[in-house]
Amino acid sequence: MNKAAPGFSDEQLAKARAGDAAALESLIRAHESSVYSLALRMLGTPELAEDLTQDVFMQLNGNLRTMGSNTHLMFWLRKVTTHRAIDQLRRRSRFEMTSLDEMPLVSIADGGDPLLQRHLQQLLLELSPPARAVLLLRYQEDLDPAEIARTLEMPINTVKSHLKRGLEILRQRISHPESRRCEDKST
Amino acid sequence: MSEDLESRLHAALTPVAPRPEFTQNLIARVNADKRTEANTRGHRRSPKATAWWLIAGMAASLLTAVGMQHHLQSRRQTESGLEARRQVIEALHITSEKLNLAYEVIKSQSSSPADDRSGV
Repeated sequence: MNKAAPGFSDEQLAKARAGDAAALESLIRAHESSVYSLALRMLGTPELAEDLTQDVFMQLNGNLRTMGSNTHLMFWLRKVTTHRAIDQLRRRSRFEMTSLDEMPLVSIADGGDPLLQRHLQQLLLELSPPARAVLLLRYQEDLDPAEIARTLEMPINTVKSHLKRGLEILRQRISHPESRRCEDKST
Repeated sequence: MSEDLESRLHAALTPVAPRPEFTQNLIARVNADKRTEANTRGHRRSPKATAWWLIAGMAASLLTAVGMQHHLQSRRQTESGLEARRQVIEALHITSEKLNLAYEVIKSQSSSPADDRSGV
């Protein structure tokens, strides 16, 4: 995926397609962090994220012959992960809120404020599933709006709208924590 | 403010790795699934082969049916030939008996006048 340089080539993909176990292992190791991170930030708990990551890679195993290139593979992984996560969240009767203590703390090595980062991840979980997916693909995967639109199969204007509205909500809730409401869940 | 928030989001959303045990289990499970799939594929006939076997089976059935028909027809002809032969033999036998009888009658009649001439 864009931000997480996969270090996985088309040649390795061809070997994995041909049944090379070592190449298949490299494929999983190269892409699992991105898939797992997307799943974790969409679903909110490591257990659900692990289940989804496993399901995605098992599904990939059955579809590996159709993957023409590493770019296609990354597109497919993002698409399947986000769609399955959104489906899971829609099936739930309510969006489960995850407490700050349960949220995994990530990326504290880059000098950022760990509490603020954790707070941002928590706020993301309060957005609607499609808006959350759009923001994750934009800021975790570094995709542009056109790529996000293709991945989520939604119009590009909807993507831009989710981005704008999502950022507004996050900004508002960071600067005015008392205004935290689930106003975005209806979108 | 907007750029600041966006850079904070970038920083907050760096990829996170799953537990090492999860990765090991995932790799083992995917490899096991791959092996199972390969074994299943080895035992499974391709659609082309299935079609070939289907056509071959139908052709074999057709040949068997034609052969059986031919055999039954030939058997019926043989039986009717044997019956005709039996009837011809029986007819010849009856004819032969009648000829014998006629011969005996003629023979007895031809010997009677001599007896008359000598006796009367």
